[in-house]
Amino acid sequence: MDVETPTAENPQFSSPPTFDIVSTYRTILASDPDLTMPVAAIEALVEVIAHSTVSTVAETLDLLERHTAILKSSIPNPISLSAGTDLFQRYLVTTLNRPASLNLGPDDDFRAIRNHLLSNGRLFVERAKASRDKIASFGKHFIRDGATVLTNGGSRVVGALLRRAAESTHMRFKVIYVLPSSTSVDSSEGHQIVADLRSHNVPVATIPDSAVAYSLGKVDMVIVGAEGVVENGGIISRMGTYQMGLLAKSKGKPFYVVAESHKFVRLYPLSQFDLPIEQTVIDFKVSTTDKSVSAEPNDEGIADMNAEEVRKFSGNSAQDAVDFTPPGLISGIITEAGVLTPSAVSEELIKIWF
Amino acid sequence: MAQGATIAPGLTSFLKSLKTTPVDPSVEHFTSLLKRRQIRSSRPCAIATVALLLRVVIEFKGKDAAKLMERIRQVGRRMISAQPRELVVGNMVRRVLGLVREVVDENADVETNAASDNAHSHHDSLTRPNLNSSISNFSPLKHVATEPTDSNLSQSEHMSDSGELYRRPSLLTSHTSYAPTSNALMVHSLFGLFSQPETPSTSSTPTGHQSPDRKGMLTSLNLERLANLSMSNTTIDLRAEVMDGIKELQDELEQSDELIAANALDHIHSNEIILTHTASTTVQKFLLAAARKRKFTVVHAETYPHDHTATHGILLTGKKRESHQDDEDDVWKPLTAAGIQVVVIPDSHVFAIMSRVSKVILATHTVLANGGLVAAAGARMIAKAAKDHQTPVVVVSGVYKLSPVYPFDIEELIEYGDAGKTVPYEDGDFVEKVDVENPLYDYVPADLVDLYITNLGGHAPSYLYRIVADHYRTEDITL
Repeated sequence: MDVETPTAENPQFSSPPTFDIVSTYRTILASDPDLTMPVAAIEALVEVIAHSTVSTVAETLDLLERHTAILKSSIPNPISLSAGTDLFQRYLVTTLNRPASLNLGPDDDFRAIRNHLLSNGRLFVERAKASRDKIASFGKHFIRDGATVLTNGGSRVVGALLRRAAESTHMRFKVIYVLPSSTSVDSSEGHQIVADLRSHNVPVATIPDSAVAYSLGKVDMVIVGAEGVVENGGIISRMGTYQMGLLAKSKGKPFYVVAESHKFVRLYPLSQFDLPIEQTVIDFKVSTTDKSVSAEPNDEGIADMNAEEVRKFSGNSAQDAVDFTPPGLISGIITEAGVLTPSAVSEELIKIWF
Repeated sequence: MAQGATIAPGLTSFLKSLKTTPVDPSVEHFTSLLKRRQIRSSRPCAIATVALLLRVVIEFKGKDAAKLMERIRQVGRRMISAQPRELVVGNMVRRVLGLVREVVDENADVETNAASDNAHSHHDSLTRPNLNSSISNFSPLKHVATEPTDSNLSQSEHMSDSGELYRRPSLLTSHTSYAPTSNALMVHSLFGLFSQPETPSTSSTPTGHQSPDRKGMLTSLNLERLANLSMSNTTIDLRAEVMDGIKELQDELEQSDELIAANALDHIHSNEIILTHTASTTVQKFLLAAARKRKFTVVHAETYPHDHTATHGILLTGKKRESHQDDEDDVWKPLTAAGIQVVVIPDSHVFAIMSRVSKVILATHTVLANGGLVAAAGARMIAKAAKDHQTPVVVVSGVYKLSPVYPFDIEELIEYGDAGKTVPYEDGDFVEKVDVENPLYDYVPADLVDLYITNLGGHAPSYLYRIVADHYRTEDITL
């Protein structure tokens, strides 16, 4: 416990950057395949606090802000991650600004919270994992006997839900799994889930993206995972989810999103191109004068390097790209705390931010 | 009522016998009435349930809130299993359970306040307002979707499910039972991840100046809140307060039609053509309230075969023909007497006439947590036709019909009635060769409804989750 560190050490408070948050984050993420990005980010931030000598609220928040910025700039798509860091930051702000909330003496708050965070880091991870189980345990009620479920991508929550449904003895349901043909990380995760489901005696059919509309006639419901749930109740998820939503809507099939509530992120995109990341999905080219055209976006990318929010997405194709599914297409968001209508998301976010 | 002895068993006879019969036989009586469908449809069920629960509370001896809740829950389970499709029964049980919790919480807050004031007087100015604001710790994130109670799952599966479902809220609310974090504004559901562990480990308790005995006291206060209640020196009369609450609930049931009707003039304008169906007193009162000031036309789909006699009755006399039981109810004049032109059409004509209709007003049986509703058969067809013609669909419903149940399986919610009403059994040739069905209800998905009018006002379907969260406690959603 270095909590006794006097404030006199403040001047040398610039030392923390020696702590490499990015590698910590990556280690945490790699150490546990079940971990989601937001939770890994929270873990990394807890580590930051543990390695620092800060002793005041302002210092802590400043420290976290800097590290969050470093972390966000280090990965191509920080949307999911920012859900975790924002949640953590808001938690600290709310707790620290309301001394009475811990019923301690005013001088104790900071220490108490710090200790709470440091000693319970593991617990947060456990909780986050438990929430996936919780989602699975009652989300499986959505799958009725004889149903055919359409899903996509390598979402672990969806995988857990389907597995749980398969384990309950009397359910007979079929799964149509949309798998990208490429060999991205996503599709390997998808293959894993497909193999897992098949070993549980669930008939699984895999189809390419292009066959979604074709297959929809045989489908009773669509269940997808999400990288982030945004403020208006829409979701940010892997490329292809939006079109599945549109198609499901047009066919009148229920479209459910499965996501833990720590994936709620404070963004309000109005269209596909409002996301705070830059994706080169649409890349106009002509065959001969290749350089002149493709140079343009590159220039912009360099110009935006300094801009805090927009980051050049290095992932080249649609494989790892994401799209935004507007709330109107979503029938319900299954979280560990119940089924929310899309409009309930903003209320939850407003509660922690204001 | 002169008929006296000849009166058919129903709501009136039940309410009468309730005054003299003890609880358990009354529960038996009620469940048999439910099973025989002698008490049916939402309002009578709600009235009977609340009256019965009031008896349960009156007869309850002792001051232990936990025991009282267990008793209510036990009675509630029996009633629900008698007729799972009457979701209002469950709604009312949950509301009463919520009342008990409210009484307990209010009392516990006072206690905790007193305790923390004593122990911690130096910043009680900070503590107090925060503590008092903890009533608003309700969050829709905690609103739980339960499986329909009449699910056809096997028993063992059902047990394990309810086990899981039961554990879940307790996990979520674990931090609300931990005094230091919960009482203030920290009850944000998204922060659940960071909340204090249930059993405060020694490592997480700060090493500072905090006196352990005070902390222990506070924790135990909250953990044993329910049990402590009976021994606490702040003697509240649990029974009386819950009874007051139930009386308020009864008032709500009584007044909901009037409150809904108060909105009528905002929604019905002169010379409009309103389409409605089934014999619903809520809708009739709504239309009558508008008829006092305005002239409009009502097109009434007769809802053949399951509800047409009642519909004809309500149009002719302002009273459902079969409903001899609510004689004491205030008699109202039929719409025609108020100078409103009423056109009765068969259900099959709905689409044809929809192009001339300016507004559809639907009655409902139950409203579900996702904004969908279960209404008399034909409602979905009407809503679909209205959607096709871009005609607004307004659903009038008391809040008591709003159920926290999430429709996992719509089929389970639909009740099938006497097929003989569609084709009489005497028509042997016909009945032999074809299957005849008579579904009583329709499920109307939320996106076909434009507006809900409840006794609280008008709401968009997407807002209903909020009303559910306001009226039901998460802990009670799984009974």
